[in-house]
Amino acid sequence: MIRVPDLLESEEYRILRKDAAAYAEKALAPQAEQLDLNPENQDLRKIISQAGELGMLAALLPESLGGGGLDDYAFCLVLEEIATKEAGIATSLLVHNAALFPASLGESEIPASWLEPSSFPACLAYPCEIRENEGKLDGGAAFAFNAVDSRIITLLLQDQGEISVALVEREEKGVEVNADPYQMGLRAARAGSILLRGAKPLQVFPGANIKETVERILFLGLASIAVGITRNSLERSYAYAKERYQGGKIIIQHQQMRLFLAEMLTSIEQSRAAINRACATPELVPAASAWLLATSRAVQSATDGVQIHGGYGYMRDYGMERLMRDAKYCQMYPLTVQEVLLKILERMEAN
Amino acid sequence: MFRKEPSEIGKRVLKDSPILAALREHDREGIDGIIRLVEGCDEYNRRVALPRALELDQRMEREPEYFDWVIMREACRYRIFSLAIPESLGGMAGKYMVTGMALAVEELCSACGGIGLALAAHSLGVSPLVASGAMAHWETVLREIVEEEKKGNPVVMAYAITEPSAGTDVEEPEFLQVAKIGMEAKKVNGGYLLNGRKCFISGGSEAKYFTVTAATDRRRPLETWTTFLVEREMPGFSTPRVELKMGQRACHAAELNFEDVFVPQSHVLGFEGDGMANGILIIMAASRGPVGAIATGIARGAYQHFLSWTKTVRGGKRPIDQERIQMALADMQALIQESRGLYLAHSLCGDALFRRAFTHPLFKSAFLLPRKLRTSRAYSAFLNSYYGKSMVNAIFRRFIRDEDITDMLSKASLAKFTCADNSMELISRALELMGVNDSPERLWVEKCYRDAKLTQIYEGTNQLNRLVVYNVEIAGTLKIEVPRPFKRGVR
Repeated sequence: MIRVPDLLESEEYRILRKDAAAYAEKALAPQAEQLDLNPENQDLRKIISQAGELGMLAALLPESLGGGGLDDYAFCLVLEEIATKEAGIATSLLVHNAALFPASLGESEIPASWLEPSSFPACLAYPCEIRENEGKLDGGAAFAFNAVDSRIITLLLQDQGEISVALVEREEKGVEVNADPYQMGLRAARAGSILLRGAKPLQVFPGANIKETVERILFLGLASIAVGITRNSLERSYAYAKERYQGGKIIIQHQQMRLFLAEMLTSIEQSRAAINRACATPELVPAASAWLLATSRAVQSATDGVQIHGGYGYMRDYGMERLMRDAKYCQMYPLTVQEVLLKILERMEAN
Repeated sequence: MFRKEPSEIGKRVLKDSPILAALREHDREGIDGIIRLVEGCDEYNRRVALPRALELDQRMEREPEYFDWVIMREACRYRIFSLAIPESLGGMAGKYMVTGMALAVEELCSACGGIGLALAAHSLGVSPLVASGAMAHWETVLREIVEEEKKGNPVVMAYAITEPSAGTDVEEPEFLQVAKIGMEAKKVNGGYLLNGRKCFISGGSEAKYFTVTAATDRRRPLETWTTFLVEREMPGFSTPRVELKMGQRACHAAELNFEDVFVPQSHVLGFEGDGMANGILIIMAASRGPVGAIATGIARGAYQHFLSWTKTVRGGKRPIDQERIQMALADMQALIQESRGLYLAHSLCGDALFRRAFTHPLFKSAFLLPRKLRTSRAYSAFLNSYYGKSMVNAIFRRFIRDEDITDMLSKASLAKFTCADNSMELISRALELMGVNDSPERLWVEKCYRDAKLTQIYEGTNQLNRLVVYNVEIAGTLKIEVPRPFKRGVR
């Protein structure tokens, strides 16, 4: 197995990484295939309960509010480790935390029950369109991870008006969730569309910069998940390339295979550097750039990984094709690549 | 006969493939034949493939063993099982066999890559029987396919090359020489005993007849590589499992298991030891172009779904009104047209080659003999004999020279990897532009994304195809040399 140590990490982060890796290996790796094929049959809360020990169930909330109090980098590295085994669960955790996050920025306090493991997975509806009418909400979101299993939905409005965040409970009248007809990747974070028709929100609050703050977390988180997928591709492909014999030698001795593997390795380095840098600043642009880089590298790495595996890569048994589907979804959410590029330039102009 | 003005589909085909429009000025009848084929495929798509493609794809993730025979039975009406069978036998393969096949396959795959593959894999299975000139089986197997097709009963064939330990290795002579081969056909009295496994065989669990490649001596696979005709009913033959694939699910990828399967001497296609030069390489030279067409079809399907998505209103705006989407659409057009241009260049070149043999009076005259004689035991015994095989082989070799086949192999390989890469690029880009949303088009484009990946893998990985182009065009080390008939000494 290839290990890619991050030498810039302090001791504290290394311990956290080790714990996260141990959790992923024990709790997720054995079920990775089933989490993709039959997520509806899996007890997500049970799988995730141990993630609470890593502080991942309310990771970004300060400890004073009952959260895990992880900083951005710590959050990213745990996601990366988890995604190395199962990117869907990592996405579920990311979205869960992104959904709780606005509450800590709002003026009112987050309900205590939301911090319990039983609140997992919370759903973040972003981007979404909502209109407020006499205290009731109309509108919805086309695609939201965790929508199917969530009890709490945080709606984050794309265009900021009177309100920018609304919290609704799934069971509330007028809240309709439709499971996505066929989710290609990140399937453990079961997605769906959300439709509100005169639904009474639990809370609404303004907050000028909430959207960007959450977007930044999504970018950083998905970039880290993408790194996890790339690592998974590299580990699987490297192991396979050392075993498979073709063309008179094991295939790792074929130069083209070595190039594929080397590109995966550099993708990890580059993406981590970008994430590392983006974590050091609250700016949106470095995070968005890290997302652009890491997700496109993950898509390429997973596709190359399937290619290295040949026919076996295309079959579910080898666990390689799942990475290709997962990686593509990291690149398709929350916004499209071009939308993000345009946003980056807008930010630069605004500064 | 064909209407004076081409139909809407015809106009589209001629517009999409200007090279065919130009050819039609010289050979209206021939090109209109291709158009009729595409029209049939288009009707099949609208009636059969499109209404069930998504549902079938999703169902077969849950039940990989399931197979929808309707997609096969309905295809009979459009003569899709006869695409590679010569006209002299009542099939559809005329002077534009490869081009017709390629365009038909593109059309079918534009609706569903899986259904398209299920139908195309059959023709791949037929082609070794045709290309080896094993005329003794033409009157039985090929005739049966044609006759049953007319009654609406699909008789399916499959080509079995890949082995668990050898995928790339069994598609290239240099690699085969050093391959670790698992399957062996041991010479016994009156025939061969086949033992071993083949894997990822498209259509393997539905086929009645198989063209199977195997070494008669595993230590010398290249020298002893041989093509056999295997029937499902033969004792010891089984298809124990099918794979759960990422895409193209409508077509099973099956494992074939051989346990002392006795294959009579008469079921050796061509000569023992011919299996690479006169088998796989000739087939690949013909079929890799159509695989490029599969990729192009999948890309075109994705493009069409993407295009219709860009015309839907999202947040008060239509994506297509944005410059960035317009640019992307033009790029996609370029990718599709480049792909089609490449596979057409290959397939037209292939047709020019095969036509020489298939339309030659000597070849045709064989079918002037009374049917009773042609199906007689004595006649097939002659065709199966050393002299019979050598004679047919000599006719083929007279018109299809080694250097032509080598050149075609390179063109086909180039078209294959370019089309496959273009297809992946286009679809990946489309998904990037769409993002996750709740549109029905997203589901189609995602399916195309999963389907398209396989085109970079099967019929030789894209890396192998690149090596073939290098070895033929630049190094000059890959030259197909089919052993000369009558000069091979006593066997």
